[in-house]
Amino acid sequence: MTVKLKILDKYLDFMRTPEKVMRLDRMGSSFPTRLSFMRTLIRRMAKEAWRFERTLRNVDKEGYGVSVYSAITPNRTYSLIAFTQEIPADMRTDRVIAEVWDATFSLFDGVPTQEDIDYLANNTPLQEGGRYRPSELVLARANKSLRVFENIISSLASGVQPDLELISSVGYLMRTTAVYGSGKFGCADRAKIADRDECNAPFQVELLAVYLIRWFTIDMVEELAQERGGKKAVRLDKNISRFIGVGNSTGLGMAPFLLKHPSLIHNWVVAKETALARVRSIETALPGTIEVFLKSLLQVGQHIDEWNVADEVQSARISLLTDEIQALRMWCEDESNIYRPYPWNGIYQYVEDNFSFECQEMVVSLIIEPHGSIVDELADTMSTNSIPKFKADMTLSQLKEVVADAYNWATTIDFSLEESQHHFWYYSEDKLEPRFGSKGVDKGVDQEMPLAIGRDVHDLNKVLLETDDDISIGEFAMTYPQFRHIIRRIQNTYERPYSEVQDNLLSESMRPLDLLRFKLAFFGASKFDPKSDLWTRISMYQGAPLPDQISEPNHDCWSFPIAGRSQSYSCINCTCQKAG
Amino acid sequence: MSKSRLTISLNEVLFYFTRAGFGVNAPIGVSEDFARSNIWVAQNGFDPSECSLKALDNLDSRKSSLSIQFEKNENGSHLFCKEGNLLSALEASVSCVDWLEFNGLNGKLMVTNVDCPLLVVSALGANQCTGIKVSWLDNSNNHYQVNLCDETKWEIISSSEAPVEKSNNADIEISALNASEKISIKNGKIRTFNVTDEKLKTLNNGVKVGDKWPQIYEYFSRCLVKSSAESRASGAGAGLVDTD
Repeated sequence: MTVKLKILDKYLDFMRTPEKVMRLDRMGSSFPTRLSFMRTLIRRMAKEAWRFERTLRNVDKEGYGVSVYSAITPNRTYSLIAFTQEIPADMRTDRVIAEVWDATFSLFDGVPTQEDIDYLANNTPLQEGGRYRPSELVLARANKSLRVFENIISSLASGVQPDLELISSVGYLMRTTAVYGSGKFGCADRAKIADRDECNAPFQVELLAVYLIRWFTIDMVEELAQERGGKKAVRLDKNISRFIGVGNSTGLGMAPFLLKHPSLIHNWVVAKETALARVRSIETALPGTIEVFLKSLLQVGQHIDEWNVADEVQSARISLLTDEIQALRMWCEDESNIYRPYPWNGIYQYVEDNFSFECQEMVVSLIIEPHGSIVDELADTMSTNSIPKFKADMTLSQLKEVVADAYNWATTIDFSLEESQHHFWYYSEDKLEPRFGSKGVDKGVDQEMPLAIGRDVHDLNKVLLETDDDISIGEFAMTYPQFRHIIRRIQNTYERPYSEVQDNLLSESMRPLDLLRFKLAFFGASKFDPKSDLWTRISMYQGAPLPDQISEPNHDCWSFPIAGRSQSYSCINCTCQKAG
Repeated sequence: MSKSRLTISLNEVLFYFTRAGFGVNAPIGVSEDFARSNIWVAQNGFDPSECSLKALDNLDSRKSSLSIQFEKNENGSHLFCKEGNLLSALEASVSCVDWLEFNGLNGKLMVTNVDCPLLVVSALGANQCTGIKVSWLDNSNNHYQVNLCDETKWEIISSSEAPVEKSNNADIEISALNASEKISIKNGKIRTFNVTDEKLKTLNNGVKVGDKWPQIYEYFSRCLVKSSAESRASGAGAGLVDTD
């Protein structure tokens, strides 16, 4: 306790600034940490001893039909209702505008009646085309990885374990292509569940749905193998099944979310940066933590070896990361580099001075990892109910000061240049698919989404510079209502400085992918596999314990997993050791 | 989604009404506040499309204006449309909230010729402005008084059975809620709302929207860009058939 308090006292000196953190190049190099939302959810499942049951399996021999998988918490039950169907191969696409999927899901709040299941059978397979009720918390769909799916079924049916290399190269049996919550298509609003303990952290019901989908996919292949192979069939080896995650294809929808929820993003980033700062402020390493870190450097090397992507840019970054992690390991072999006062700050500083953003952010995750006892509580601070409010009582001179202090990055951009306003964001009438258009090429500039933060601040600043300080902001907004949204945003930034992406989102060189990776890392996703600058595939829950492993002592040790093996070293300072 | 008699979520109210406001050329910041006001309307059991369609129609047909002016005199303060037009409730509502936040409630605030008074009330409610009385006489000669008592309770007193969400075109008076003037309409019908209970009901049952909803959706649709083969081909994930 004394150690903890000392750390808390002085960590502020070690906080990275918003100017450093909220830049696209660093955001686009993010990795999950132990504060990521999947980690938080798994820790809660273990702590509260959640139970899991398959309560319905009404499918044919090909696996088509309906199943229900339930998570039973101390206070209530959540049920994943899964519908599976055969679809034409040429209609299997990751895009929002797809019309059919191998599997569709609703996460039901409670235990569904037959009437509920019948209602959802007529709606869930339609996805956006259906309508949902406040009893439904999440809507999702997934497509099979055909290669892995068939390989696993045929292997298990013939009594052998599947090709681990193939599983490693893909990472999942099914890939979700959308997971909707928070009132989408009539589903329950977040406010309905926000005060439940298990829903307090961000995206917990969405990630619970994904966790149950993962279980469903593994259960499905084992059942189908049994059906096909009879007595000869075997179940998946535990280490292999644990390595199977759920894929996800993420496109542009996540980018507007990040920009429209600045208070929430601030809380996420502050929690992570506080965790890092607390670790960097430790003068003498906590017992065992350095040793765990050194072992994790070895494991992460293997994890990176298994992270293979076709994208040239990411491939080059992974290759460099491999070399840098190797170089860091060699640097750490010199004990004088690490066994000294403020060892974690020394390691961080060395990496920041010498290596790529990709390596810097991976090391941030690695040095936070052995410090569960001093950082895990921060997970409770990552939500918010706060909605940015227009504050009419701020003075115009205060507003000018905030713009000058926090938006220098925006006011110094030359927006008269074509490349500074090359892109625009819009919603297509095709299922409201968000798109990233190019001016002069794509139609729809007039219907641009209000995400041009830098440009709007720049325009406001020009007017502010010509306006006397003696009028109130309320009067200013009456005269210039077109700036109301951006003033509100600036006022929010004044109180929540980590809320704003400090780059021009319209720039020709802007890659939406950086925003996606930033958000996905907070979710806990890994194995980022960009398919263009607009979308990426990822893996979720790879290495996480399955429902029957939640009570095992190593339930919280699954960062940077490696194929077919549990973590090669025991973790430290985390909740699972206490549970064990 | 464009059909009437739907049940929608509060998040959908936020999404569609923000863009419906933008669809009639209201600035995005004003549209965001308009949507928040509609959430308050919906949370209290009213159909937000019934309440807001007139305000959107008026802006779209230029019968109302967002142009607003402020003046102070010995009787209090006054917000009105510069051109003498109908004042859009979208602008009147945000300006009232701003005015109260900046000035507090010393004396009365008059807001002249507002097209949809309930939207002004809902903006005050959504911003937790309490201890306030809002009253008006509309163009059908219906007299309404809304008391925003505290954060948990508000009430409507009306001179007739006419639904408050259909009340249009009125001069609104906003003043402090004094116990002695709590009910100033003779033989008025009182309806009391418990904010927490009403919100809970809405969260458990959703927001029912009626026959005005398709027109709200129509305004929302103006924010959508028509799709073409080219734009479809440039979307995220384009050209890929799953083969992994």
